[in-house]
Amino acid sequence: MRLHLVELILFSTYAELRAERARSYLGVLWWIIEPAMNMAVYYLVFAVVLRTSQADYVPFLLVGLTLWQWFKSCVSHGGYAIWQQLPLVRQVKVPVQVFPSVQVLADTVKFVFILALLLLILWGYGYSPNPAYVALLPVLLIELVFATSVAYLVAAAMPFLPDLRFVIEQVLQVTMFMSGVVFALDVVPQPWRGVFMLNPIAVLIDAGRGILMHGAWPNWSALGVVALISLALYVGASLLLLRLTPRYVKLPA
Amino acid sequence: MNAPLISLENVGVAFNAQVRVGAPRFWALEEVSLTLRRGERLGVIGRNGAGKSTLLRTLAGIIEPDRGSIARAPVSCQLLSLAVGFMQHLSGRDNAILSGLLLGLRRRDIENRLPAILEFSELGDFFEQPISTYSTGMLARLGFSVAMQVDPEILLIDEVLSVGDAEFAQKSGAALRARIHGGTTVVFVSHSDGQIREVCDRAVWIEHGRSVMHGDVDDVLRAYHATSPQPVAA
Repeated sequence: MRLHLVELILFSTYAELRAERARSYLGVLWWIIEPAMNMAVYYLVFAVVLRTSQADYVPFLLVGLTLWQWFKSCVSHGGYAIWQQLPLVRQVKVPVQVFPSVQVLADTVKFVFILALLLLILWGYGYSPNPAYVALLPVLLIELVFATSVAYLVAAAMPFLPDLRFVIEQVLQVTMFMSGVVFALDVVPQPWRGVFMLNPIAVLIDAGRGILMHGAWPNWSALGVVALISLALYVGASLLLLRLTPRYVKLPA
Repeated sequence: MNAPLISLENVGVAFNAQVRVGAPRFWALEEVSLTLRRGERLGVIGRNGAGKSTLLRTLAGIIEPDRGSIARAPVSCQLLSLAVGFMQHLSGRDNAILSGLLLGLRRRDIENRLPAILEFSELGDFFEQPISTYSTGMLARLGFSVAMQVDPEILLIDEVLSVGDAEFAQKSGAALRARIHGGTTVVFVSHSDGQIREVCDRAVWIEHGRSVMHGDVDDVLRAYHATSPQPVAA
């Protein structure tokens, strides 16, 4: 049973990526071009037009955006997943966790491409690989667990509250600014800075920047707290989905 | 007589009428009781909206009852579902694998059956093409060929006994009848007395979500028609 689910999730992810590739003329290239265009917009606004004076601003921005966009696409795509698959849920007996998981996995595959591009850019800027790169693995893993949990929660609620569609993008936008993606949280006055740093994504982005730009090891205790929050959230969200499963099929078509 | 594979006791199923907190629910099944034994071929009859399809999906385990109880023996039970999870931009082959996985098959089992699917569907080179290029008939052939690879111990059929154009309809109908009469336990929903008589050895009559009568096909059909206007001859 378990192995069957793994097979289903993996093949659905392949199918999702494959279908997405077939839907456009440039196909896979969009996995790079779309986030690159997004980054270019922020670069133009904050680095060129507003002349943000912070040293290292461009790599600072790129690392933040890369880690943020991964989280954001997992949550927005994963969040829609069950709602969009309700017709299928009415047809076959399949655990609903599959649907957000597939979206998260597909976005993670795309993220790997963007991460590779980011590393190339950083090396071009002179930020060489360093021993602290080892710590990237736990940082990314924690982000994956956190993003999956949030995606599960949104996905669980969306079929009962389709109105979430109108809110989710706005909430994500605000969260982005509160995560120190485009400006350093150092400029935020206390006590707000303390509040902002409760945000797991802010901690993860901070750790990512430290590793990639300064060769610094992450703040393990802060990271540990985020890891615990993410795991607890993951267990909670999975249980919630399990509990709500019998109710999706009874929603009106 | 052998032990029941599935037995339903006073089963009720309610749906939400709207996506809104406190929205009223309506009971698609009010109170259904029946037993299904190994090798039995049970026909489900009843008027439109009586709850026949809901009953099938409840038997399949897709819907859980809101009241009453279901006891099931550890056997596989599947609704014959065509083109489940098909994606437009994927090839016939990829869709066959995806659909098979959704229907509960293991990856290697589907891979092993791909040649059989290709042969039965008569798709030829189109098998490797995206299904967005398929005609309706080709899609029906692929859907049916995949669905037939799932071989549950209890087969649930909602109306469909054959698909596709005249030629394939004959072939698919023959394949399905061979499966039905090959000893599989079957639950079959139909509006056609003829098909119920042909396929089933027992019948249950569902009226407004309640099981009114359960027994021999001829007895149930006779009682059903006695209380209702005869179907208008086409």
